[in-house]
Amino acid sequence: MITLNYRDSAPIYAQIKENLRHQIISGILTPGDKLPSVRELATQLSINPNTIQRAYNELELEGFIISVLGKGNYVSSDFSRDPKKIEKLKDTLKKTVNELRFMGVSDEELEKIIKTGESQNDRS
Amino acid sequence: MIEVKNVTKTFEGFHALDDISLTIPNGSVYGLVGPNGAGKTTLIKHLQGIYRQDKGSIEVDGAPIWENPAVKSRLVSIPDDLYYNSQTTIEDMMHFYKGIYPKFSKERFDKLQNVFEIDPHKQVRKLSKGMQKQVWFWITLSCMPEYLILDEPVDGLDPMMRRNVWSLVLNDVSEHGLTVMVSSHNLRELEDVCDNVGIMDHGKMVLERSLEQLQDNIVKLQLVFPDWITEIPNDIEYMHAEKIGRVVTLIIRKNAEEATAMVQKYDPLFVDAIPLTLEEIFIYELGGDKNAVKEFIL
Repeated sequence: MITLNYRDSAPIYAQIKENLRHQIISGILTPGDKLPSVRELATQLSINPNTIQRAYNELELEGFIISVLGKGNYVSSDFSRDPKKIEKLKDTLKKTVNELRFMGVSDEELEKIIKTGESQNDRS
Repeated sequence: MIEVKNVTKTFEGFHALDDISLTIPNGSVYGLVGPNGAGKTTLIKHLQGIYRQDKGSIEVDGAPIWENPAVKSRLVSIPDDLYYNSQTTIEDMMHFYKGIYPKFSKERFDKLQNVFEIDPHKQVRKLSKGMQKQVWFWITLSCMPEYLILDEPVDGLDPMMRRNVWSLVLNDVSEHGLTVMVSSHNLRELEDVCDNVGIMDHGKMVLERSLEQLQDNIVKLQLVFPDWITEIPNDIEYMHAEKIGRVVTLIIRKNAEEATAMVQKYDPLFVDAIPLTLEEIFIYELGGDKNAVKEFIL
């Protein structure tokens, strides 16, 4: 389920967080799903329970999961629209768009990608 | 909680421990790191109540450890050099520990045999170094300790067994609130299992932090300044700098966002904040350049 890359210099908590976030966004984990307990994950991955807790805390703060006292952590049914995150993603998008323009991709083609959420190459 | 306060220990004029203080909160896994000869094992021998400090105090939940069987019965350790009588079998050792540690669980001992898969009738001396370490983990975890002190614990264990052993220990940490102090040179592994880290050098504590604080307060910034900046500007504080071609690498004592914000006014062509591994933090905190690999020709 969660795999850690020990060659990645990203801290372990960040890797666990990113891993779970990805699973939620891509729909592998669906709203209401119960996440493994801190103890289970700590034992399974041989990772300090506080490190796991930190990943869970940050995911809760960002609205991806809900922690129910005494019951466990569940995938949230509505991800909050974190304005900071939106700004950051917009910024990334602008940079990518500029880069693509520089490489000669036409605005027409870019619009198509935005409208359909996928590029022509992906569809074929 | 284990509290070491201003402890000094001198061996024939040599300060092995020099006014050292540290705190190990209950339920945490404390990683003790430091170069060879820093005093880690000496410190550990004080925590076990083997050495008596010249000055200062060492207390477990407020009670001194020295000559205190009540405290010692809750604290078990695995030393770096294992000691056993030449004829001892694993079963003999089990009975010996059972006689000493009141909370020893035979039930757990039997359960753990499924993990270690060693015949308890075997003589300890006939086992390999790695298997002897396994035996110590087997018996130590059966003592149901509240405090576990490990000196270079996974030395000699194969990768599978390392994971098994850490899983068992971390399970006790999250389930029973076991407190662990572990000394190791394997920083990669400590990064996984620890939540607190103490870096020792020359008998002193150089720095003691939670892993979280440690990772959030130091960052590696890679950037390219615009043409008109040839030197690193004076107002940028850094611990260490390196320049390869136009790419400048700075080690900065700030979190990633603060560090990036600090260099923004110079309009860098490119900035990237990279987290440091514990190994890198260790090297830079202990003097970066001075500890760099000595270049020599044989």
